Amino acid sequence: MSSHEEELARLLKQRGLTRRQVLRVGALLGMSGASMAVLSACAAPPASVPAAPAAEAPAAEAPAAEAPAAEAPAQPAQSIFDAAVGADASWPKSVISDPTSKVTLSVAHAWDATFMERQKQFDELFMKRHPNIEIKAENTPFGEFLQKYTTQAAGGASPDVIYTQFSWAQQLIKSGIFIPLDDYIKNETDFNLEDFTKPSLVSYQRDGKLWLIPYDEGPANLYYNKDLFDAAGVEYPNQNWTLDDLKAAALKITSGEGPNKIFGLGELPSPGDSLMAPPYLMPFGGVYLREPEEDEVLINEPAAVEAMEWWQEFRDKGAVPSPADLQNVAWPAFQFGKIGMTQQGSWATPPIRAGSKFNWDIMIWPKGPKAHVTFSAGSGYGITRDSKNADAAWIYLNDYLSTAGQAYMWGITGRGSPARLSAWPSYLSSEFAPAGAKFVEMAMKDGIASHDIIDQPTGPRVTQAAGPIWDLVVAGQLTVKDALAQVKAAVDPIVAENRK
Amino acid sequence: MAMQRSLDTRPPARRMSKMARREELEFFLFISPWIIGLILFDFGPIVASFLASLTEWPLLEGPKWAGLANYVTMFRDPLFFTALYNSIYFGVFSVSLGLVVSFMLALLLNQRVLGMSMFRTVFYLPSVVSGIAVAILWIMILHQDFGLINSALSLFGIQGPGWLVQPQWAKPALILMSLWGAGGSMVIYLAGLQSVPVHLYEAAEIDGAGPWQKFRNVTLPMMTPVIFYNLIVGFIASLQGFVLVLIMTNGGPANATLMYGLYVYRNAFQFFKMGYASALAWVLLVIIIVITAIQFRLANRWVFYEGDLRR
Repeated sequence: MSSHEEELARLLKQRGLTRRQVLRVGALLGMSGASMAVLSACAAPPASVPAAPAAEAPAAEAPAAEAPAAEAPAQPAQSIFDAAVGADASWPKSVISDPTSKVTLSVAHAWDATFMERQKQFDELFMKRHPNIEIKAENTPFGEFLQKYTTQAAGGASPDVIYTQFSWAQQLIKSGIFIPLDDYIKNETDFNLEDFTKPSLVSYQRDGKLWLIPYDEGPANLYYNKDLFDAAGVEYPNQNWTLDDLKAAALKITSGEGPNKIFGLGELPSPGDSLMAPPYLMPFGGVYLREPEEDEVLINEPAAVEAMEWWQEFRDKGAVPSPADLQNVAWPAFQFGKIGMTQQGSWATPPIRAGSKFNWDIMIWPKGPKAHVTFSAGSGYGITRDSKNADAAWIYLNDYLSTAGQAYMWGITGRGSPARLSAWPSYLSSEFAPAGAKFVEMAMKDGIASHDIIDQPTGPRVTQAAGPIWDLVVAGQLTVKDALAQVKAAVDPIVAENRK
Repeated sequence: MAMQRSLDTRPPARRMSKMARREELEFFLFISPWIIGLILFDFGPIVASFLASLTEWPLLEGPKWAGLANYVTMFRDPLFFTALYNSIYFGVFSVSLGLVVSFMLALLLNQRVLGMSMFRTVFYLPSVVSGIAVAILWIMILHQDFGLINSALSLFGIQGPGWLVQPQWAKPALILMSLWGAGGSMVIYLAGLQSVPVHLYEAAEIDGAGPWQKFRNVTLPMMTPVIFYNLIVGFIASLQGFVLVLIMTNGGPANATLMYGLYVYRNAFQFFKMGYASALAWVLLVIIIVITAIQFRLANRWVFYEGDLRR
């Protein structure tokens, strides 16, 4: 591999690209297959990587509500965050005493390379405050995380603390992989569960207990490329925008052909996406599954059908990348300046900031004719049943997910959407947060963000059953109405299991 | 490289001599590491897998006895039939095409031409390139608008299809891509071609045979064992493959490339249905055994072994 190829590969990885994405960029730039093959040999094979873009990629990659983690970098990366900022906050003091002898806690994360450096900074500070607790952090690419740790759990060898995304949480909780945290929380004098936003706890509660603690819960926002808006002579989105305004802007921004084509919008809804209902159906009065039970399919009802047909115009007019376009466009396309607008959570900010060379900002998701709704989703951490040091693990979680911890990790870094209300000021005042960060808070505080997403254990089977049916709509071989009727037929038997 | 079959010419059994017994012992000693490995690392998991197939096992909880329920469910599962159909479709066409292409390549590379070593290396190289790099490369080659194949077709005024994005073209695209690895089989054919006895060609020439007759009556019959070997191995491999499919299409669009191996993986690690996944794996094993047995049975009609005495 030549030195410039190595440098490009390293930079791309630092920007949060997965190995598959790096390979795509390399192929696009005509780099040698051998050099890209060496890259791919640097880490474990992507056995469980999310959906390739046979359908529209970001919407179809439903479980990856967070920006996918990049591979661990071949060389140590310098953190862009100052370790000292936020370090002198008021850290909690747990009622549980520190262990009297040295213990080692293994903590499993799924961070991109940039954010892993911040994680290391936190762990260093934690170990200074708790000298008898040594933290051994494991970082695994997002696409491989679930398979790796369910396999470990099956073998009784889980780490003490693991990251869990909302879409897996109920499945893992039901499987008994976590211990309940209610007693720990009850005994603390300053944990304050009320400080957590209501939607943030939903995915982690089951049978009246709380099994994980969320670290973030944020809305889907509208990221927009200001330079493309300027070039098309379109006014920037504002908080009064409607979905009709979004459509008009997307159609106007779409221009060009071939590899240089600019698309107005990055993604369209698909029933293969567990997050699709709040931002794409509910503004029109439609729903996907009956919530919160998720025991009946309702996407074939007139309001939802009308909504999905409304979104089709973007595809008909070429304003979103087709599956063929996705093969050609280097992904993530927003970072590469090919997309005018995209829907992402605030957690996409660090890689967008690192990867983009244009002006951008975020705005609240536009309102529909019937409601102003977007999704809210997030992730959390829990203590596993295999942990031999549950008390020490709790001391870690108590620090990590305290106001100080959430400010340190998700506020100050601009990653955003901390699950604790008290950590939001640190995000809004962060130099790394976009100018529109206040709209992220607005969506959470004003009830615009809805947690009516698919997060029951049947979720993966629902999306795997529905996604291929929608592929036929994307391929122009099935109408929206017929496809949604087929989704109803295919998914109803699956979600019937959720009826108590 | 003709395989010698000595069934009809085996000498009558007699008591083993001391030396023969010693040789037999040495034989078992030499293969014992492999046998121990098989027992420790393969046999155990194989038995465990069979037992798992008779349970309902959500991976993270203990297995519960379910008898043949997984097998019954399988025959009511439309995706089981979809995955099986896709795998057999892919296997039949990729292996057939691969056999022809790699054999033709071997014939070409069996000529006495200056620089032949370089040509052989060039044709073999693609089969050793990393699978992921191959997948990415072929995504570009198969691109609907700018890929190499559709660009070449457009020179003849033909509008190329959406290879990986249209359900009816996704499997043909993967079959086309499988030809990339023809170099591996080509090397085996090449070795086979070079072991065809020269005197057979000389005899044919004396009888007035032309190039086509020599090929049809000498080369092809002498190569049938090698063709048969590649057929068996190729078909088994094609039924089990899923990594490239996972990277390129993840079973889409519309389950058009949902291969059997990928479906087993999904059930095990995405749906947490380890018992069902194990049952799927065992059914695949039975299917492979049945197909291989049929192939061996049919081989009596077309595979010729040198020294074979046919009645």
